[in-house]
Formats: sequence, structure tokens, C-alpha cells
Amino acid sequence: MSQPLLEFRDVSVHYRARAADTTAEEIHAVRGVSLSLAAGEKLGLAGESGCGKSTLAMSVLRLLPKSARLEGEILLDGEDISTMSWGRLRAVRWAAGSVVFQGAMNALNPVHRIGDQIAEPIRLHGSLGSSPSTSAVDRRVAELLEQVELPVERARAYPHELSGGQKQRVMIAMALACEPKLIIADEPTTALDVVVQAQVLDLMTRLVEERGIGLVMISHDLAVLASTCERLAVMYQGELVEQGESAAVIARPEHAHTKALAAAFPTVGDPVYRYAPATSSPLGLPEAPSTSDDEPAEPLLRTEDLRVTFGGTHAVAGVDLSVAPGEIVALVGQSGSGKTTLARAVLGLQRPTSGSVYFEGERVPRSASGLKAYRRQVQLVLQDPTSALNPRHSVYEAVAEGLRIHKVPGDEREHVAAALEAAELRPADRYMSVLPHELSGGQRQRVVIAGALALEPRLLVADEPVASLDASVRGEILALLLRLRARLGLAALVITHDLGLAWNIADRVAVMFRGELVEVGAVDSVLRSPSHSYTQSLLDALPSASVLGR
Amino acid sequence: MADIPATTEPAAEAFGGRRARGGGQSTVRYLATKLGGGAISLALVAVLGFFLFRAMPGNPVRSVIEGRGSASYEEIKRIKAEWKMDEPLWTQFVDYMGDLLRGDLGTSIKYRAPVAELIGERFWWTILLTGTALLLAVALGLLLGSRAAWRHGSRFDRWSTGTALVLWSVPTFWLGLIMLVVFSVGLDLFPTAGMTTPGGVSGGWFAELLDVLHHLALPAITMTAVIYAQYLMVMRSSLLEEMNADYLTTARAKGLRDNLVRRRHAVPNALLPTITIIFLHMGLVVSGAVTVEKVFSWQGLGLLTYEAIGVPDYPLLQGTLIVLAAAVIVMNLLADVIYRFVDPRVRSA
Repeated sequence: MSQPLLEFRDVSVHYRARAADTTAEEIHAVRGVSLSLAAGEKLGLAGESGCGKSTLAMSVLRLLPKSARLEGEILLDGEDISTMSWGRLRAVRWAAGSVVFQGAMNALNPVHRIGDQIAEPIRLHGSLGSSPSTSAVDRRVAELLEQVELPVERARAYPHELSGGQKQRVMIAMALACEPKLIIADEPTTALDVVVQAQVLDLMTRLVEERGIGLVMISHDLAVLASTCERLAVMYQGELVEQGESAAVIARPEHAHTKALAAAFPTVGDPVYRYAPATSSPLGLPEAPSTSDDEPAEPLLRTEDLRVTFGGTHAVAGVDLSVAPGEIVALVGQSGSGKTTLARAVLGLQRPTSGSVYFEGERVPRSASGLKAYRRQVQLVLQDPTSALNPRHSVYEAVAEGLRIHKVPGDEREHVAAALEAAELRPADRYMSVLPHELSGGQRQRVVIAGALALEPRLLVADEPVASLDASVRGEILALLLRLRARLGLAALVITHDLGLAWNIADRVAVMFRGELVEVGAVDSVLRSPSHSYTQSLLDALPSASVLGR
Repeated sequence: MADIPATTEPAAEAFGGRRARGGGQSTVRYLATKLGGGAISLALVAVLGFFLFRAMPGNPVRSVIEGRGSASYEEIKRIKAEWKMDEPLWTQFVDYMGDLLRGDLGTSIKYRAPVAELIGERFWWTILLTGTALLLAVALGLLLGSRAAWRHGSRFDRWSTGTALVLWSVPTFWLGLIMLVVFSVGLDLFPTAGMTTPGGVSGGWFAELLDVLHHLALPAITMTAVIYAQYLMVMRSSLLEEMNADYLTTARAKGLRDNLVRRRHAVPNALLPTITIIFLHMGLVVSGAVTVEKVFSWQGLGLLTYEAIGVPDYPLLQGTLIVLAAAVIVMNLLADVIYRFVDPRVRSA
């Protein structure tokens, strides 16, 4: 190979801090990164949010915001991007290198039909001649849609009419439109659930390989990268800390950060990770609970033939689920399987169509006043702590709100302090007057948990509690849940699409598929030897580096 | 994960299909609801107007008599009887509502002519003035607003928003007078008042058209200058919100020129919230022309209302109020319908 397809030579990116209160401070987002990619090669770029991986990737097409300053050389096919004229740069964009953004999010224009959005670069870069006929462009769009296995009629659809996976396929079709030599995929499957993620990854890898396109794939998930890419590069605080063969990096990580990333996504079935989420907290992990098979006399929470129907859709179709005192139950399933609706029904936020919920043997009332007492016992932790917290309320206010609603007797400040301590925000006094935006993602989630703990509930219902958090924080929050269970006897119903999470902390797992529980049992038995084919397909969809190693 | 309302791929397909089929039926229902709501609002306005104007200070009988020097007790009685003002308020109200249902707006006290006829004469002149001013203001506001947002913080942004806000804060009558002083009295470029040259112009319909446009220029420009700021500000803030949207990065990555990114991708999205506000204002602007029409003696609805208040001419005031309220309601309805048409997300929801 004469010259690499893409080469970073000592690339640095600075951002001018725009805040008025800081003095012309610069944020050093990327620090002297040198990296190269051969034609047709697949490289995974890993790291946590804020490590500079997206900045580095966006610098390839000079898509950085105006406040960014780029240093060093970026050679794409031998041409230096950083000194290119705007005209030349526009010609290179998409034609030489294209991007697969997080299509599931907002990367597609909501008011244009997807066919038009795919056709746009084809017309712009004249890949079908300088002024192609409408029918020629339509044919090309149809061809591209076929390649990503979408029905051709979908060209007339708007983005909101597509599912997350379909949108991601559209993004891939769009990226292939001008037959580029390089595709940069920025977190291409992050918002998708396991099964769809596996399909999309499969498709993208196949298309890229068939065409000999070079791929730079960015993700926070080492397992996803390792299952797709031959080489891995790990970034930490703007620097490239480790790179090498995927299998080698995963198996023998050298840098401490790589180790943390690798540990954050446990291998399901590996006893090393059982009841052991990755944590560096000095508080350590509690003893794994003794595995006794005798059922407790009375479950804390029990649903009986619970059904929720929307129109003609059975979101929850007759579910019997129980959570014992001090037990952690993971409710797993794909998005759309009805697991969130089930959680809402359990909490009394969604009126069930039929069936009932029993708490400590008593039927949960449906009236607002009756629910109030019940809700004190059962608290909710949401997925995204950033939107779950009111940005204008201090931590103290956020935690004290529940206390006020339920008119909890005693000193409010003491209760708040105790709750913050319990959520391991120490010293509690330091956090009370802080506003959410001054906290990190993990700290925010702890505030949400503290808000729930303030009412001394018996059960936490946590909806994807770590899905929006960084890999290294994920383990800390999971470890906190385990410690809370050990110390306070707190039971938890954790809703997740993440089987690794279930393996990390749960005692029992309930697998939900199309509104029904298809399999319920101890984590060790269900995830090691699933009896239902759906559970098996979920397990099969898990990306694993070991597959690559074989 | 939980916020993505999709299951496996084929299931999502079925879901999308059913939604699309339900779309047509819901549009009819949606329109019927909106129309019903509009009719109720209009009825309430009619009721409110009746009592509101009678609570106003002033006595129409005195205004009528003042024009004639003195009047005897009998004559006052006769005038009161003529306008049915000697009857109890509720009988007057029932009569008024009855007439209204038959489409009769009554007879003007001041002009002694049917209110419907008076409004009919003036209506199109007001539409001409406010319509022109609105088109100019919307075009100017959206253009400047989108450019200001695109280069926000730049000198262009500061100057264009600054100028617009200053003009918006200026009282309309004051700006109108300044325009008159400078361009009519001082430079003698435009006529000072009216809608046509008294006595008419010779030279056929084209000359007449030019004459009207000549008269229209100053009031329309005055009105535009005062109102375009709101469209500029709405467009600016709406586009600023879209500025960091991911699909703009996609568009840039495709290699589109900056101008095309703005025109083809950012502006259509930013226009969506603007539409509601534009149409809402359109309805209001019809009534807001009162000051401009007074300053430039533009014989429109605004001036008619202004003159009716002085009397107060109850039937005429009630008539203009209903027309103005109807304008606001119709424009609102139009905004909802257009929004459904331009935003694919609302269309299928």
C-alpha cells in the first residue's frame, strides 16, 4: 500500500471558551494525535464523551464549529484537508469521505422526504453526470435503498415515519450515495437496541467491505467496535492513549482507561462480572447474595394479569411479575416490547386496562389519593438525569421536593443530607446549593437517586438508569444500587435493554417480548441457558470481541 | 431507548401504515373542531361587544343633537325611539342578536346608512393597505431575520435587529407624521392624505392604479416599518434554535454551500413556528391600522372605527368589531391548516 487513505499528523484542536466569565481560555479538545488508516481498513475510535473522539472525526471534513482551531495535518487521499480552499473542501466533502451520523437522532432533516435527502449529494457532486435526469437520480436512490434493505417506496417517507433502525439505514444509504473512499460513522448505533444494532452493524460492515471503503467508527462501546473493526484506537482527554489490533486491545488493555472501558461492558456469562459492575469506588462491592432457591413468603410487589391496551395495540398483554423484598429484578427487552409501559403501570402513572398491582399483599388503589401513599414506597429513577432534573432547582430543592409533597415529618435539611449521603454525594453540604448543570452526568443521576431515597422507599423502579451515562460512570451507579440493596434492603425493578446490566447486578431477569413475559428466572440460569428463542436472539445480538477472535 | 416508539422493523412499518390511513379522517375532524371553536368565539365577541360599547362613556343621542344646535325634549324622545334606546337593555340585546342572525348589522347612527354597506365600502381599502404592509413586513422580516440569525453576533445582526427594534418602539402616529413632514411636505414626493387624487386622474385605469399606489406608498411603508420587527425577531430566534441541529451538520458534510444549507435546510424548519405567529399577527394587524389610517386619512375600517368611537355609534362599532374578530379567527384557522400542510410531522400525527 503506497499511501494511507487517511492520515492524522500531530493533529490538535482547540476550542475558544465562549463563556464571558472565563478569560479567553482555550479548551484543548484534541492533543497531538497521529493516526492512519489504510484504504479499505476499519478502525474503531473509542473513548468517553468529551474525550475528543468526535472532534477528531469531524475534523476530517473540517466540520468543526467556528470556535475551533485546527493544528497539524490531516491527509485524505494524500491531500491536506486543513489547508484546502473552501471550494475544494466542498467538493471533497461526501464525494471523497462521507459521514454516518446518529440517524436515529436528529441528523435527518425532518421536513424533507428521505429520498430527496439521499438524492441531494448525488445531484450536488454530479456522481451521475453534471445534470442527471430525475429518473436517473430516482433509480440511483432506489438502488441505494435496496442496498440497505429498505423498501423502495420508503423514499417518499419523512424521517419521523421511520424507526430508529430504518433511519440509520437511510443514513448509510446516504453515505454510500457518492461512492466515497472513506466513511466516518459517529456513534452509528448508540440509540438503537441490541437486535437492531446488530442488524445495522452487520449491514454497514458488509457494504463497506464489499466496496473496499475505509471506515472510521466512533463509539463509547468497546465491544461494538471490537466486533466490527480490525483496529482500535482509544482516546482519553484529547490524547490517543492506546491503539492496536482489536482482539489484542480488548484482551490485554495496557492503559488504565482502556481497562476501565473494557470492564464497563461485561461479558454476559462470565462469572468475573457477576454482581461486580466496574467500580473504582473505595466503598467496594457488597458480598454477592447467597443463592437460596426458597421463595420468600410474600413478594414486595406483584402484578396479576396486568394489561395495558392502546387502541388496538396490547402494550402489556397479561403480565405476572413479582419483586421480593431486597431483590433486584431486571426487566429486559427491545424498545417497543412494552417494558416501559409496564413500569408506568406498576407506578400508577398509566392506568391498566385490566389486572392489578399488589404491594405488600395489598391491592394498589387507582385513586390519586390512594396512590400517593403507595408512591412514597415506590420511587422512580429515569433514564436521562439531565432532563429529569429541573435546571433551575438546586440539588437541595430537587431532593426536598418529594419530602414536601409527602409532608415528611422531621427536619427537612437533615433528610436531604441523609439522602445525599445515601446516594454517596459526600460531603452532602457541598452539593446542596449546586445547580444541575454544574454537575457531571453521574453526579446528576446520583441526585435523582437521592431524590428517590429521601422518601425511604422500599422499591426503586429504574428505567434505563445508566443508558445515558458514560462507561466509567455506569459501573459506579450500578455499584451504588448494589450497596443500597445491601445496606437498606432496597429492592429494585430495573428496566433495561442491556443484558450486561442484568448480569452485573440483577438477581432475577424477566424477558419481555411483545407485551408478554416470555421468560422469568434467576439471572445465572436464564442468561446462561435461555429456554425461549427470543432470549437466545437477544444474547446472540450482543456484540462480542471473542467472536472476532475465533 | 425507552423513548423510541418503535419495535422491530416490520412492526414499525405496520404502525406507520395505520397512522397514515387514520390521517385523512382526523383532518376532517380536526377542521370541524377548529371551525366550531371559531364560530363560538365569534358569537362571544358579538355578545361582549354589545355590552362593552354600551359601558363606554359618551351618549350617541347627544352627539346627534349637537350637530343640530338645540333640541326639545320631544325631539330627544323621538331620536331615542328611532334608535330603540328607550327600550330596556335586554330587549335591545335580543333584537340585536336576532338581526345579527339574519345577517343584518343594523344602521349607523352617524352615517344613517346600513352598517354592512359602510363596512363593505371600506373593507377592501383596509385590506389593500394592511395587505401590502404585511407582505412587505413579512418578506423583510423573514429575510433579515434569517440572515441575522445565520451570522448572529455579527455587525449585520446587531444593526438589523437594532434598527427593527427602534422602529417597533416608535409610536405609529409619530412615525407617520415624520414621514408626512419629510416626504410629502418637505420633499413633495407623495400626497399628504387620501387614497386617490380628488377629482380623479385622466389616462384610464393604469393612471388610476398608479395614483392609488402613489397614495398607498407612505402609509404602507410606515406600517411596514413599525411591524416588521416582530417577524424579524421571531424568525431570528426560531432559526437560532435550529442552528445547532444535527441535520445542518449533515447538510454541511454533504458539501453544500453555506447559503444552500441555510435556504434549503435551516430556513424551512425555522419557518414552522413562525407561521403561527405570522398569521396570528395578520388578524391583529387589520385592526391595528387605526392609527395609520387616521394619520394618512386613509378611508379604511380603522378610520371608520375611529370615527364611530367618537359618537359612539353602537351599531357601527359592533359591526367593525365583528369583522375584525372574524379576521383574527379566520387567520388563526388558516395558520393551523397551513401548519398541518407544511409540517409533515403534524400532518400524520
